[in-house]
Amino acid sequence: METYFLKNEDILKFYERLNQEYELFVPVKAKSALKLNCDCKPIVPTDDFSIKKFSQVKKEEIVFSDYRSTEPIRSFFTQYKEEVSVFFEGEDSKGKKERPLALCGVKNCDIFALKIQDFVFLGGSEVDAAYKARRDTTLIIASDCPQFKNVCFCRAFDINPFPTEGYDFNFSPLTNGYLVDVASQKASSIAFSLKDVLVPATLGQLSGRSSKRESVVRRLDDYLTQYQIPKKEKLQDIVVSGHNSTVWQNESRTCVECNGCVFICDTCHCFLLSDDSSSGNARRLRLWDGCLLKNFTKVAGGANPLKLRYMRLRNRFLKKFDFFISNLGIQACCGCGRCIDVCPGKIDIRRILKILHESRQVQPEVVG
Amino acid sequence: MKKNIYQPIKAVIEEVIEETSTIKTFKLRPAIPFSFATGQFIELTVPGVGEAPFTPSSDPGIKDLLELTIMKAGEVTSKLHTMQKNDILGIRGPYGLGYPLDKFKGRDILIIGGGVGLAPLRSLLFSLFSRIDQYNKVVLRYGARTPSDIVYKALLPEWAKKDKVDVLASVDIGDPSWQGNVGLVTTVLGEVPVVSAKAVAIVCGPPIMMKFVTLKLLDLGFNPQDIYLSMEKSMSCGLGKCGHCRIGKYYACKDGPVFTYEQLKDIRDIWD
Repeated sequence: METYFLKNEDILKFYERLNQEYELFVPVKAKSALKLNCDCKPIVPTDDFSIKKFSQVKKEEIVFSDYRSTEPIRSFFTQYKEEVSVFFEGEDSKGKKERPLALCGVKNCDIFALKIQDFVFLGGSEVDAAYKARRDTTLIIASDCPQFKNVCFCRAFDINPFPTEGYDFNFSPLTNGYLVDVASQKASSIAFSLKDVLVPATLGQLSGRSSKRESVVRRLDDYLTQYQIPKKEKLQDIVVSGHNSTVWQNESRTCVECNGCVFICDTCHCFLLSDDSSSGNARRLRLWDGCLLKNFTKVAGGANPLKLRYMRLRNRFLKKFDFFISNLGIQACCGCGRCIDVCPGKIDIRRILKILHESRQVQPEVVG
Repeated sequence: MKKNIYQPIKAVIEEVIEETSTIKTFKLRPAIPFSFATGQFIELTVPGVGEAPFTPSSDPGIKDLLELTIMKAGEVTSKLHTMQKNDILGIRGPYGLGYPLDKFKGRDILIIGGGVGLAPLRSLLFSLFSRIDQYNKVVLRYGARTPSDIVYKALLPEWAKKDKVDVLASVDIGDPSWQGNVGLVTTVLGEVPVVSAKAVAIVCGPPIMMKFVTLKLLDLGFNPQDIYLSMEKSMSCGLGKCGHCRIGKYYACKDGPVFTYEQLKDIRDIWD
């Protein structure tokens, strides 16, 4: 991997170069509350960064995002509502070629979350071809987080606020420019074409980055002490053994079933195939679905294994911290805190994990 | 272009057989030959209405026709029950793992069905009959609510005549025409002619029936790894992606739909 330095005033050249080949998305400061693009329209706060189409923002609005965007990065790979097939006659929309995306402002929590999305859409019994095409062609321009939000807790799970893998470019802000890591073939050829503005990084710049990274890690770790979030190695045990804990009833009392936590989550992936024949030829839509919605597990005969709200809240935690740890070895939570931000009921994943952890410590170990 | 995993293939209805007042068997001719292993399921599309998962009830040896025995329960099946010969449906699949027929070799096989749960078991029975010399015996115990709710009425006596096959049906509520056992299917499991510690049991029916049958089988000395249960949950994609059919660390669509009780016994709330 090569690392270059790019001056602040040259960043537009970088964007313009990407925009020639890609549908470029860049971070801007969110100006108004974002309504989630789903039926229940939960609202997320305004003090965030948003990732918008380069061609639709004013150049002076583009910023370097200090922490993750409001939108989950998965929304660029699977959309809330998407036509996935037409049957039986007619043009299959999946045959249409999409312009490849270049996403700036991707953070390390998002990159972690993409491991979950990849497991689902590239793994399983068969590969989702549309997802694969987007993953293969999308350019990921990641960046360090020099700051964190009050809801951020990536470090609780040993995820750093700066990426070391899973990107094409990574940007680390320095005082008068950026260190730019070039990590892929695609990125290399773009970097080559920008060689008049990308100069090799100096040792001094590299060590400057290291101390900035250490500083944010230290500040975030200090900040997180108050939440006493259990370490990732304990997550599966505390969630499974906390099956009968009162935490589920207590915490789900303020849940209004808006499903905001699910739709804004970067690791959630559930969907429902729904057929629509209103336009003549039947179309199959893939809609994001979520396990906090009451009909998520309801079967045609009317039975519903997750009929009560607290069961659905518990199910969400079992999926994230039991199912994924069993199947993939990692938890389906990247510590981005988007679910905490969005929840009108102030349900806090950090608090639930802490309560489960505390009750596990007083509970005798049961073998088998 | 890469395969679109959400796209069904066309299948034409060739015949509709009325089994009971709420259950019909649909004989379909897929546009291209369609193979499945017994116990695997398909996603059936009623165009413009939606999709639902069903396990074929036909002989997997037959590739050009596919039979599905379906109870009218929700939106998709209600529309399906109004459809007739020559109407077009869609199918995707097959999905899931199916029954491990090799593991049944040389053993007593006890098959227990409840209601329309006999549908996937019929496909299994056809598979077993086609290589009956490999198995010690096949015992079928079938429970239905009333005599008129029994599916495959004509087939059951035919199967009973086969060598190495033992068939008994029971109904929860009898009527004057019914000469057989009256009681839940668990009431005819007491004296099954199999050596329980060496036999395998295959169960398919409503969750409440599977729960009590499993408890009865354990009581009779069946090993948890020899009890096979059909765990058909709410499913959408059938591919291990949509997240609806999770059972503990498994997805019913990808890791099942047939599980051994050994796989499930430590998972909470499996019968809900």
